[in-house]
Amino acid sequence: MDGLGLHRRLEANAGLLTFGILVVSAIGGLVQVLPSVFQDSLVAPAPATRPYPALQLIGRDVYIREGCSACHSQQVRPLLAEVRRYGPYSRAGESAYDRPFLWGSKRTGPDLHRIGGRYTDVWHRAHLMDPRSVVPNSIMPGYPWLERRAADADGDIMQRMRALRFLGHPYTDAEIDAAPAALAGATELDALIAYLQGLGASAGAPPR
Amino acid sequence: MRYHDPVVRALVFCSVIWALVGMAAGVYIAAELVWPTLDFGWPALSYGRLRALHTNAVIFGFGVSALMGTAFYSVQRTCHVPLALPRLAWFCAVAWQLGVAAGGASLLAGWTGGKEYAELEWPFDIAIAIVWVSFGVVFFLTIARRAVRPIYVSNWFYGALIIVIAMLHIVNSLAVPVTLSKSYSLFAGAQDAIVQWWYGHNAVGFLLTGGFLGMLYYFLPKQADRPIWSYRLSILAFWAFTYSYIWAGPHHLHYSAIPEWVQSLGMVMSLVLLAPSWATMVNGVMTVAGAWQKLKTDPALKFIVLSLAFYGLATFEGPMMSIRSVNVVSHFTDWTIGHVHSGALGWNAMITFGTFYFLVPRLVGAPLRSVRLANIHFWLALAGTMLYVLAMWGAGVSQGLLWLALDDIGELSFSFKDIMASMAPYYALRLVAGLLFFAGAVLMAANLWWTVRGRCTVAVAPPSVADAAGAMRGEA
Amino acid sequence: MRTLPSSWFPLGALFAPQCTFAELAAATPDPARILFKHILWLALAPAVFVFVGSSLFGWRLGAGEPLRLPQETLTLIAMGYFLALLVGLTSTAAVSRWMAATYGGRDALGAHLALVALVATPLVIASAVHLFPHVFVNVLALIPALLWSLYLLYAGLPTVLGTGPERGMLMASALVGCLLVGAVTLLCVSVALWASGIGPAIGV
Repeated sequence: MDGLGLHRRLEANAGLLTFGILVVSAIGGLVQVLPSVFQDSLVAPAPATRPYPALQLIGRDVYIREGCSACHSQQVRPLLAEVRRYGPYSRAGESAYDRPFLWGSKRTGPDLHRIGGRYTDVWHRAHLMDPRSVVPNSIMPGYPWLERRAADADGDIMQRMRALRFLGHPYTDAEIDAAPAALAGATELDALIAYLQGLGASAGAPPR
Repeated sequence: MRYHDPVVRALVFCSVIWALVGMAAGVYIAAELVWPTLDFGWPALSYGRLRALHTNAVIFGFGVSALMGTAFYSVQRTCHVPLALPRLAWFCAVAWQLGVAAGGASLLAGWTGGKEYAELEWPFDIAIAIVWVSFGVVFFLTIARRAVRPIYVSNWFYGALIIVIAMLHIVNSLAVPVTLSKSYSLFAGAQDAIVQWWYGHNAVGFLLTGGFLGMLYYFLPKQADRPIWSYRLSILAFWAFTYSYIWAGPHHLHYSAIPEWVQSLGMVMSLVLLAPSWATMVNGVMTVAGAWQKLKTDPALKFIVLSLAFYGLATFEGPMMSIRSVNVVSHFTDWTIGHVHSGALGWNAMITFGTFYFLVPRLVGAPLRSVRLANIHFWLALAGTMLYVLAMWGAGVSQGLLWLALDDIGELSFSFKDIMASMAPYYALRLVAGLLFFAGAVLMAANLWWTVRGRCTVAVAPPSVADAAGAMRGEA
Repeated sequence: MRTLPSSWFPLGALFAPQCTFAELAAATPDPARILFKHILWLALAPAVFVFVGSSLFGWRLGAGEPLRLPQETLTLIAMGYFLALLVGLTSTAAVSRWMAATYGGRDALGAHLALVALVATPLVIASAVHLFPHVFVNVLALIPALLWSLYLLYAGLPTVLGTGPERGMLMASALVGCLLVGAVTLLCVSVALWASGIGPAIGV
């Protein structure tokens, strides 16, 4: 039977066609994606990489909630100009505690993977409240509402840390129990700044 | 025995509404990049949240409603039986709309998983999975009950859409819930990146490309009133497409920390993908060519033919941008945004517009209210898309080169702030382009509304078995 | 029956498009004549403008100082531009002739070259803006010209090639597709050359 005849049989049998589509489309995923899921070196944390402390974790979740990664990447490519501009290029182990990953796909604003320590907390505060107060031509929106919300407004920091521990992040009981106290008095703006100032710390070298 | 067309009409109606909502959101965020204070300090209007609403409303509201509607329409006619389980079909249609509406609201409220094109949080992910499986049940059960033996080629593509999107969605959405509005991805870091772009790229592949090819394979031969040019080519293209698309995702992660072989394989398979993509385009163009005596002065065909031109551009540009030495400049820039929109505006939206101009008058048994208005829409859509693509090419290539430019002593030539500021004119141009395209969509919505207003859906019966056999011989 | 269009037909398309289309439809232009009398100059003009403008003012990309390139590089760029346009225009005519059989258009190469010349004219005229090489000013001037060219293509093709309105519309769309693919190829090739060290220095 020639190929065309074979296909006539396939396209006359809904079950066979469905099965065929599933198998043919799954091959790529099985060969290319599945090995990565079982490749431990991809998720082994880099030497200086630690799970996010409570305040930074909240800051990161604020970063996700406000869609910061729509305009800011966190992935310095190993290119001369890029390393000059941002700092050491990004390595896999640095993202080991990133759920989800925030490498981004667009740089309307600059990359932030090495932003930690580049500016003061005061600068970040002014910039996040009103970006044009410190960068005149900026097209970034301001985030004044972050200052009005407490970092533990959702009251679920312990649940968040437990969920992450379930996924393998090495939080101790003591760290989880101390989390609500670590957030006390802080706003979401403080949390976001803490997160931003922590970015780049895992590069192993002090930020420029 | 009658075809169940009211559910098709409802889905087309919702699709048009989502087109307006999604495009309006797109125009608004384009305006925010020109005037950044347009969010008035209101979180729900903030760029980061509104962008997710824009992409979700156009892809899952406009796109999927159109695909579901046309799939329900064409599967009945290619199988010569009414929809199996019409109540379940209604459930799919209604639940999907409620899901997209509630999901959209949740995005504005800040519920997000943070993965591009898969932002909705876990309660919605579960709801999507349930509706999607129901969609599959209705679709495949209708095929199983068909009155003709061969399964027509449009149904292969719709079938692949249902199966592959289910697989991608379920795997990529795996997460550990914390609260109703918060979950953490099962995958972390580099693994998450690989899984996400396996999903992200193939959502484009099997929904925005494959799904809409299903639409093309049914509605293009219908409008040209002649069978698909080459049956063999459609078989070859379909399987090559289904096999090779899945591999191309990692070209979104060039120069990142994922393994080198995964990046290279992604690039090679992206280039391979050009063959089946263009084979389908040739099949489409040749189907129209030579059908002159039967060509109507239907505006619908204009849109479909132009959509093929932009399909050709987008499926060529994609593989080119996956080449590492091009990607090094194009990645992270507005060139990517331009590429996406040459596909989304030029291909997906235009073929959908063409299909609606063909379908809606037939659903209600009345001519389109205004052919002239549809022609104006055509020009607005063409001008808007061209302008958009050109503005983003200009912006993207400038960004890519200026970011990397070094001076004589090897220092960076330009600061990021200066480069960003120099984008303002392009962003203004893009806003104009978006407004043109949106204005065209508004004209279409009004035109279709005036066409259907006060009219009932026409009841159509499947042909008798003898007619059916004859019709299918003609198609194969 | 006249076999030659008037010498200034591309300009005529700007003021009285329908008459020019009709004139071209009735003519069977000599390909060599169109090539040397029109296409050549249409390809040369933008290249000259770019050379003069860039050597006088330097390119302004919108960020920082104008980019000044040495004369030799500029000469090379201008020559490359001229050749790209020449190849682009003639190959578009060739593609158009190749497609004409499918869409029932005329086979005469001269007619296709004339159509291409006619469609390119608004863009070439607008390219005078290269004399002031600021990227955005150029984009702003070229976009209305491009829309005008698109109009000439869609409106002129059915008459000039005698395809009739429906097929003409489809063939024009097919040509737009080809041109876009050509444009993106050019873009990608230049970027790839840049990335591999030819052109302005970039740090990759």
